[in-house]
Order: sequence, then C-alpha cells, then structure tokens
Amino acid sequence: MTTAPIARPATARSLAGRLRFVLLLLLAVGFYIACLRFSEVSPLRLWEGLPRLAAWAARAWPPDLSEAPILLRRAVETLAMATVGTSFGALLALPLCLLASRNLAPGALLYHPARGLLNILRGIDSFVFALIFVAAVGLGPFAGVLGMALHTAGSIAKLWSETIETVEPGPLDAARMSGAGRVKVILHALLPDVLPALCSTTLYMWEFNLRASTVLGIVGAGGIGQELKNSIDLLLFDRVFAILLVILAMVTAIDLLSAALRRRLA
Amino acid sequence: MKPILTAVSVAKRFGATEALIDGTVTLAAGEFVALLGPSGSGKTTFFRCLTRLIEPDAGQIHLDGRPIQHLKGARLRAARRQIGVVFQQFNLVRRRSALTNVLTGFLPDIPLWRVAGGCYPAAALARAEAALGAVGLAAKAHQRADTLSGGQQQRVAIARALAQESRILLADEPVASLDPETAAQTLELLRELCRIRGLAVLCTLHQPQLAERYADRVIGMHAGRVLQSRRQ
Ligand SMILES: Nc1ncnc2c1ncn2[C@@H]1O[C@H](COP(=O)(O)OP(=O)(O)OP(=O)(O)O)[C@@H](O)[C@H]1O
Ligand SMILES: [Mg+2]
Repeated sequence: MTTAPIARPATARSLAGRLRFVLLLLLAVGFYIACLRFSEVSPLRLWEGLPRLAAWAARAWPPDLSEAPILLRRAVETLAMATVGTSFGALLALPLCLLASRNLAPGALLYHPARGLLNILRGIDSFVFALIFVAAVGLGPFAGVLGMALHTAGSIAKLWSETIETVEPGPLDAARMSGAGRVKVILHALLPDVLPALCSTTLYMWEFNLRASTVLGIVGAGGIGQELKNSIDLLLFDRVFAILLVILAMVTAIDLLSAALRRRLA
Repeated sequence: MKPILTAVSVAKRFGATEALIDGTVTLAAGEFVALLGPSGSGKTTFFRCLTRLIEPDAGQIHLDGRPIQHLKGARLRAARRQIGVVFQQFNLVRRRSALTNVLTGFLPDIPLWRVAGGCYPAAALARAEAALGAVGLAAKAHQRADTLSGGQQQRVAIARALAQESRILLADEPVASLDPETAAQTLELLRELCRIRGLAVLCTLHQPQLAERYADRVIGMHAGRVLQSRRQ
C-alpha cells in the first residue's frame, strides 16, 4: 500500500511552484493584452464617437409609434419563427438524444456518430444556418425557422441527453427485467421521471430562440429584426427606438410566461 | 427434481474488486432457497449476473437447461420474462403511482400504444391491483411511489415482481425494511407461491432465523464464493 500524498500547506509552497505561478500569470496577462489589440479597442475613438451617439439618441425621441400595427405584426412573425423553430428542433432532437445518451444508446456504433452530429449542430449558430438557408429557400422567416431548428436540435439534444444520463439506472433495470423492449422501457420507466426537466429545457430554448431570432432578420430571415436593420440603414432613429421597445416588451413577456411555466413543472 | 435455473462458477470483477468469484446455485421448481452472507459478499452482484443486468466475466447460467449467458435481443427478453426480481433498492419509478409501478412487471403484455398513452386495459389494472392486495397495499394503489414509506415501497417492489407471474423469483433482501410481522407474512406468501404455483425462489436474507424458518435449503456466501449447501 502506498500512502496518499499529503497536501502541503500553501505557505510552504516551493520556489519552483511560485515561479511557475508567476509565469502562468504573465502569460495570461499577455494573452489578454493581445486580445485587446486584436479587437481594436480604442477609448479615443469611443470618445470621438460620443457626440454622434448623443445626436442620434436625441433624434430617437420621441419613439415613432405611428407604424405600431406593422411592428406588432413583425413581432408576432418573430415569435412564430421562434416557436416553430424550437418545436422542429425538439422533434429532431428526440431521436438524436436517445442515441446520444450513454445509458440508452444501443451501442457505441451509433453513440459516437450521434454525439458528433449533435456537437456540429450545436457548434454552428442559428444565424449561420439561416444564412445558408436564405440562399437555398429564399428570403423570409422560413429560412430562419430552418436555421433555428438545426441549431436548436443540437442544443436541446445535448441538454436532454445530459438529463437522461443522470437518471437512476434502477427503475430502468426493473422495467428491463419484465422482458419489455427498449421503447416500452423508455416510455414507462424513464419518461415520467425526466419529462418535467425535458419540458423545462425546451421552454428555456424557446426563450433563448426568441432573443436570437431578433437578429435573424439581419440576414433577411424576416421578423422584427428585418425592420430593425432597415430602420438603422435609413437612419430612422425614432423608429429604431420604437422597435427596441417592442422587442423588449415581447422578450420580457415571454420570459415571464416561460419562467412561470417552468416553475410549475419543477 | 429437474432444476430450472443453474449457475456454475459465475464470476465478476469490478476493477481490482473481485465481487463474485464462484457463483454456483441450482434452483428447482417449487423450491425456496435462502442465500445468506455478510454485506459486500457479492449477493447482489450474483443476482445481477443471473439476470444479465451486468455481464459476468465467466461461468455458465442455464435456464431450463439452455444457456442464457450469450442471449441477446428478443431471446434475452424472453428469458427475462421467466425471472422476477425484487431489487434491494426497490427501483421504483418515483413520480408514478404504486399501481403503475406494479404494471411494470408485465409490461410486455400491454400494447405499446397503451403504454405510450398511459391508458391501461382493465384486465391489466385488475392484475396489478391483485398483486398490491397480496402484499396488503390495495389502499395505497394510487399514491405516488416517492411518497410511500420505505416498507411500503419495498412491498410495491415485491408486488411488481409477483405481478410478472414468472417461474423464478430472485428476491434481494425482500424483507429488510419490513417490521417482523409483515416480514413473516411476506415470506409466508412466497412460501405459498412455491407450494401452489411451483415458483422457484432464491432469496437473500440477513437474518439466519428467517432463513431457517422459511427456506428448504440455505446456502452461504462469503467473499464472492458460494460456500456450503445443506438440506434442512
Ligand atoms: N458497480 C460496481 N463497481 C465497483 N464495485 C462494485 C460494484 N458493484 C458491486 N461492487 C463491489 O462488489 C462487492 C460485492 O457487492 P454486492 O452488492 O454484490 O454485495 P452484497 O452481498 O449484495 O452486499 P449487501 O448485503 O450489503 O447488499 C462489494 O465490495 C461492492 O463494493
Ligand atoms: Mg446486496
């Protein structure tokens, strides 16, 4: 038997240990400074731009609500996009997460490819997928829905499979011992325990997608984001302000609704 | 009598732990065999190997004279239907009722769409209710499993295994959470089923007195080995 190494008190740390710490600290500081340079951070330019920002802010008041009905219609379009995109994503995620959960996967043969696919989908933003789909299916919310569905499928499947992997194996074993097949075991012994968590995750993704879909308009995928981009391009700042107010109201309302629903599920 | 379940030198190690070195047992129809052994001696591991919930490293397991240690898919499921298990940790689905948990015992007999929709046939409900009644829990049928007391959960686990109507029952400490009177009733019930239905029971117990009283045969386990086998 070897004895476990006893942690030395911090005060007795060796010289080499301290040197290494200082070196790592210097490296981290150097990396951060390089990052500042690469992102062209310049307080001077911000300072010089402030008057222009102030002038725009002044022109944004009062917000131009004359076109409120159009803006609301566009907001509903965005909400619809987020809802349909999330639901399509969840449908795609269902088979994916069953293959990508270690405790359910029929074998490593499918587990690793499923895991890989899921990471690719999750790694590419809705925005990027939407850009590609605009080229394929043309401008409009449908491209946004498709883009969002793919990214959402990856994200939801990942979160779902993490929930499923933490579930106790016991009840699944008990159901397997009845001689039942995989699908029945999952439906009867797994789903009841994880369903609230899975629904909660989906609602969370819905909120997230609503916020994300406001920028999807910028690539021509419709919704309130498209209005936002057009108004900025035309320097209609009072209209931009009105749009920001609509977005804020919508996102807050859905956040509150989703949070309330998730509390009830818990 | 012809054995229905035999295991010869079943072995399983977990890393450096030799949990099971020589799991050997013969079980005939209508027989009640008690397995005694200190904590950590490998009883649960033996049961999990017999049911292929974990893959044994070595040894032979025969069900009705046919080897089952390499079965897969539908054949493995068919073999498992013959073996009911009362798990030491109960393994109930927490958010479901006692009755729904008992239904788990005969899941293969319920059509898939009914399992998916949660609308079970009346005959299935009656079968589950009967099993709950047999362990004295008819009144608790619709209570959620995680709100039942420990002993009640254990009895739901027993009812689930009985509802399976298997020919073999592996019971892992089935009376550990029960008061002496309920424990006696439960073991009495298993005895009855051995006599009437020819059920073959292999049951781990921590109390030698209970083993002496209810078992036809007592076998011991120590440090992963099945030791003596003596007739009463
Ligand atoms: N999955 C596992 N990984 C590592 N070690 C394990 C695992 N399962 C069991 N063991 C070890 O194997 C040995 C036998 O465990 P087992 O559960 O079979 O004992 P038992 O006889 O059922 O004990 P008890 O009477 O306390 O239930 C123990 O030392 C245990 O720690
Ligand atoms: Mg045990």
